[in-house]
Amino acid sequence: MKWLAVIGVIAVALLTWGFWWEPAVKQPIEYPHKTHVQQLKLPCTSCHQRAEKDAVAGRPPTALCVACHSGGEAKSEEIKKIQAFGEKGQEIPWKRVWRLPPHVFFSHRTHVAVAKVKCQTCHGAMETLDRPPARPLKTLAMNDCIGCHEQWEWPNEKGGGVVKAVARRVSTDCNACHR
Amino acid sequence: MARWGMVIDLDRCTGCQACVIACKAENNVPAVGAKEAVRGRIISWMQVLTEVEDHDHPGEQMRFVPRPCLQCDDPPCTKVCPVYATYRNPEGIVAQIYARCIGCRFCMAACPYNAKYFNWHRYQKEGPGQNPDVSVRPKGVVEKCTFCHHRLQHARERALAEGREVAPGEYVPACAEACPARAIIFGDLSDPGSEVSRLAQSRRAFRLLEELGTKPKVIYLTEGEGRG
Ligand code: HEC
Ligand code: HEC
Ligand code: HEC
Ligand code: HEC
Ligand code: HEC
Repeated sequence: MKWLAVIGVIAVALLTWGFWWEPAVKQPIEYPHKTHVQQLKLPCTSCHQRAEKDAVAGRPPTALCVACHSGGEAKSEEIKKIQAFGEKGQEIPWKRVWRLPPHVFFSHRTHVAVAKVKCQTCHGAMETLDRPPARPLKTLAMNDCIGCHEQWEWPNEKGGGVVKAVARRVSTDCNACHR
Repeated sequence: MARWGMVIDLDRCTGCQACVIACKAENNVPAVGAKEAVRGRIISWMQVLTEVEDHDHPGEQMRFVPRPCLQCDDPPCTKVCPVYATYRNPEGIVAQIYARCIGCRFCMAACPYNAKYFNWHRYQKEGPGQNPDVSVRPKGVVEKCTFCHHRLQHARERALAEGREVAPGEYVPACAEACPARAIIFGDLSDPGSEVSRLAQSRRAFRLLEELGTKPKVIYLTEGEGRG
């Protein structure tokens, strides 16, 4: 009987393992944001091109990486991997790190192009990373979304300063986000 | 602010069920299977109710009443929700927030139009072929027609990016779009010039169970008798 109980506890532990904490994301290539953003001064939207035009921000096509990383003998393993993807004409199978549940609607364009919110406000200091983030640097729970929507102030276009957002309140209606 | 509404012209409706199918496809409405159907658990956000006109000769003359959620301005269902999972939003849409729903089904009991449905099981998983704009409902929550409000989310997203208001005709639910007889007209009831507003003023207009005071924003049109 005792053994049965022990086995039971272990079985439950194993079965629920994945739900205890979020598993770390392992990307196919150890891509460093730091080199590209801080040293090369590439703007975020040069790679995440759809952020200003679409709901999703998107990942750069392999062709864009190869444009810089094809020249000469590849020095590192990582660059060789990129070139291999390039030669096969494949897209690099990046995994998603930030993800909202499917019952939430979110558009990058609304926030990046219309409201001019900085990427870092929601994603943290991506430009300091030497390797892909295993977990979101910042979580975006519902309170964070609504917290910003409630206190948002539109910059005053004529003079300096801000105007209280009476003219156009940012929606906090459940139906604006949930679907 | 817009006040979204719908007019359904019963004299135009042929009972073809195109709206029903379009709605199911658009909103990932699950097929519950034969066993569940026998138990009366079919889910159909849009349903064509049929009525036999002449009882001496059944089947000769039928009347069809397409019935989505009537999006009442004074909804009985929202008043009984203990957790604010269903409420009337500022634009008049009766929202149903699945994540918030605890499945008590008070709202189903309160709805005089039987427009709400319960997920007795997890009827489907997320997968290809579904509309990604509409979440798949889990077990134990109530669902219903939402006037395809995910289409409004997209229309508004586009309008915001272009710095304008949502244009008339930019936001139309799947049923209205699919109706081959143009029996379903959708639009903004707060705009006196819109087609829905004009039709809603028609002397042919009536509302289902008007005497209950629910003030539905789905308005029916028909000539002559048998109204309501
Ligand atoms: C040279 C191209 C490039 C530039 C420039 C770039 N990124 Fe990325 N970004 C990528 C690639 C490739 C990935 C996928 C690998 C990873 O997660 O690091 C990625 C991943 C991300 C992710 C994680 C997405 C997810 O959920 O999976 C975020 C957030 C992000 N970038 C934000 C930014 C921000 C903010 C900037 C500007 C400060 C930026 N990126 C600049 C190429 C780029
Ligand atoms: C504008 C040109 C440019 C683009 C576009 C670019 N890179 Fe780079 N990348 C560089 C430079 C320059 C370095 C730093 C020099 C080096 O170490 O080779 C670098 C470094 C790297 C490194 C580290 C090198 C190592 O030895 O491990 C990786 C990995 C990498 N890039 C991946 C990518 C990926 C993936 C993409 C496509 C999303 C990409 N790069 C797009 C220019 C670019
Ligand atoms: C208002 C907050 C917010 C801002 C600002 C923001 N993001 Fe995001 N981002 C999110 C959320 C939330 C997700 C997860 C989206 C989902 O699961 O649908 C996400 C996902 C992503 C992803 C991965 C999924 C995808 O859409 O491709 C990338 C890459 C990304 N963001 C890049 C950026 C970049 C680059 C910027 C700046 C130009 C930016 N984000 C600005 C909130 C934000
Ligand atoms: C840093 C501030 C900020 C954060 C964080 C933020 N938002 Fe927003 N959001 C805004 C602003 C500002 C607007 C208004 C844009 C406009 O009206 O032009 C907006 C608009 C929206 C809209 C459109 C509202 C409408 O009128 O239809 C949706 C939907 C939305 N946000 C969802 C989200 C979600 C989901 C999150 C969390 C993952 C989020 N937002 C986080 C600032 C933010
Ligand atoms: C600005 C956007 C926004 C608004 C407005 C909003 N939500 Fe949310 N909601 C979210 C996001 C994003 C999540 C997912 C958070 C997460 O993944 O932790 C969420 C999650 C939830 C959850 C939790 C689901 C779960 O599985 O844990 C519930 C319940 C919920 N929302 C109910 C509501 C209700 C009720 C309202 C209206 C009073 C509302 N929400 C308004 C963005 C929003």
